[in-house]
Amino acid sequence: MRDLARRLLAATQTAAVPHVHEAVLVSDKLRISLTRFAGVDGFTSLQRRALVLARAEVPSLQSVKVGADGRLEDFEQLAADTGTDAAAAAAAITAHLLGLLVTFIGKPLTLTLVHEAWPDISLDKSHSTREIA
Amino acid sequence: MSTNGKDQGNGPGHDRVTIGQLPTGVPGLDEILGGGLPEFSFNILAGAPGCGKTTLAHQIMFANATPERPALYFTVLGEPAIKMLRYQQQYSFFEHVRLDGAIRFINLSQVVLDQDLGAVLDAIVKEVEASQPGVVVVDSFRTVVRKAQSSSSTNEVELQGFVQRLALHLTSWQATTFLIGEYVEGELRDNPVFTVADGLFWLYQSVERNSIVRKLQVMKLRGQESVPGLHTFRITEHGLQTFPRTFGLNNNRSDHVKGRRRLSTGVPKLDVLMGGGIPEGDSLLVAGPSGGGKTVLGIQYIAEGLTKGEPCIVAMFEELPNEYMQRAASFGFDLDKNRKDGSLKLIYLRPLDLSVDETVNEIVTAVKEIGCKRLVIDSLVGFEMALAPDFRTDFRESLYRMIGALTRLGVTILSTVEVEENFTSMGLSNFTISFLADDILRLRYASINGQLRKMMVVVKMRRSQHSIDMCAYEVTSRGLQIGEPMRGYRALTSGIPGPWLESPQSQIEPK
Repeated sequence: MRDLARRLLAATQTAAVPHVHEAVLVSDKLRISLTRFAGVDGFTSLQRRALVLARAEVPSLQSVKVGADGRLEDFEQLAADTGTDAAAAAAAITAHLLGLLVTFIGKPLTLTLVHEAWPDISLDKSHSTREIA
Repeated sequence: MSTNGKDQGNGPGHDRVTIGQLPTGVPGLDEILGGGLPEFSFNILAGAPGCGKTTLAHQIMFANATPERPALYFTVLGEPAIKMLRYQQQYSFFEHVRLDGAIRFINLSQVVLDQDLGAVLDAIVKEVEASQPGVVVVDSFRTVVRKAQSSSSTNEVELQGFVQRLALHLTSWQATTFLIGEYVEGELRDNPVFTVADGLFWLYQSVERNSIVRKLQVMKLRGQESVPGLHTFRITEHGLQTFPRTFGLNNNRSDHVKGRRRLSTGVPKLDVLMGGGIPEGDSLLVAGPSGGGKTVLGIQYIAEGLTKGEPCIVAMFEELPNEYMQRAASFGFDLDKNRKDGSLKLIYLRPLDLSVDETVNEIVTAVKEIGCKRLVIDSLVGFEMALAPDFRTDFRESLYRMIGALTRLGVTILSTVEVEENFTSMGLSNFTISFLADDILRLRYASINGQLRKMMVVVKMRRSQHSIDMCAYEVTSRGLQIGEPMRGYRALTSGIPGPWLESPQSQIEPK
């Protein structure tokens, strides 16, 4: 999932909205796609779990929060701090969110959701779930 | 979308609309429904939690959804969508690729929680108009109604108006709709949802002793004739599978005439006693005590059919197939090659919680598969024991339907039933099922001069003459060997005969 997370971040970076970190944009795209079928609460609970898992890798994510609607909050502040690897933090949180989806609904359905949000990115659906989890 | 469209009564003066039918994707269910789901109908899938409503809805979706006419699945405060997908994808019908546009899940929980029925209707209408689905599911609709009823501002008329507008809109947009709800039967009365619905499918799950029994009933279905009554179903890795009470033989208009020819039992002297063998398409009941040779007679009947090129089936409930084959071999019948070439099929049925309909479904499938002419059911006692307790109460009725259905196909059935012997009378079976049989052969023991002798008598041959002799017989290494009529005895049927008064004493000498 790490590789896919980096690809999504890179793809989003090219069309980045000024002052909004690509991690937030990626999370938002996934939020829109996921909320549609899982509901706000469904997405928010997954995002919170992903954040906790990512904090174990990137402790500076302690300052980031998940809002009631599932949006990532205060990520820009973390990115602005010198000495913080924002790219690693963004990749960690995105990878864990995707990983949770794979755990619960499997890789094919996860990639279907990702494809809905990023129709231009080619996705290899042939990898097994275990390889990418 | 594929339909089972059929022409309905377009004869002179009957220019009726043709109602298309959608496949359910559930084995057996299309037959119960009378061909399939009426297209553009508004239906309720009702039942207690865990009875299979969501799985049924998924099977219907996967059977019909296409990218052009997708299926929309609205989830409302029920099972979270992520968990539902997690579990539903375990079924074999769940094809991931269909979620790439043919099947879409939409969460309406927030709308239901935060807004009124009008907003719920607007949300559904918006999605339906955007996607133009062929199938729409709302899971759980009961939650929508419950939320509305909890609001002091929503009265019953408004609720009925909402349901009516929803049905009208979805039908106008040519969607076939399924509302899923955890209802109990007591709620049927005066419920606006049930009033508006075209179809009402009720799923039951009951526990009796250690068994779980699942049944489905089509309580209402506008526009077509469904099969009434409760139909058992099972949930397996493939989803729901129903077992129609018609046994999949609804459309069989067999031109078979019973008794057109006689089938040899494989025991020539028995054929003579029966007036020439078993009339083709009859059901013969072989009733007798343990060790009386019932199974051996069944083996001889099957072996005889196989030598004549007639495909045969043995449905066994007591012995394992390999044991059965060994037993046949011990009497000189090598059935291995027939089993290998498919002309002999052994069906071993001994799971717990079996239903008669499920058993018959398996037998009927095999009958159709190999074009079976001879069927042995060994034994009815074992058959009954394999059933869930709930089904045992209906055993006779189910057996009656099963034997009727199979013999109409031209299958000639030999069923064995164990009779607990007493030495005061000659009962035909402990199950009072002899009315099921066209023909009855009774085997029994008789105590004669310190020996337990075997005797048999043809009790009944429907529509034909038969011998009334009670004949001695033995079970030898080559099968049943029938001897001479047992003359010179009185009260043979009691099992404790005495000398016939007019007969010379010599006739009751031991053999």
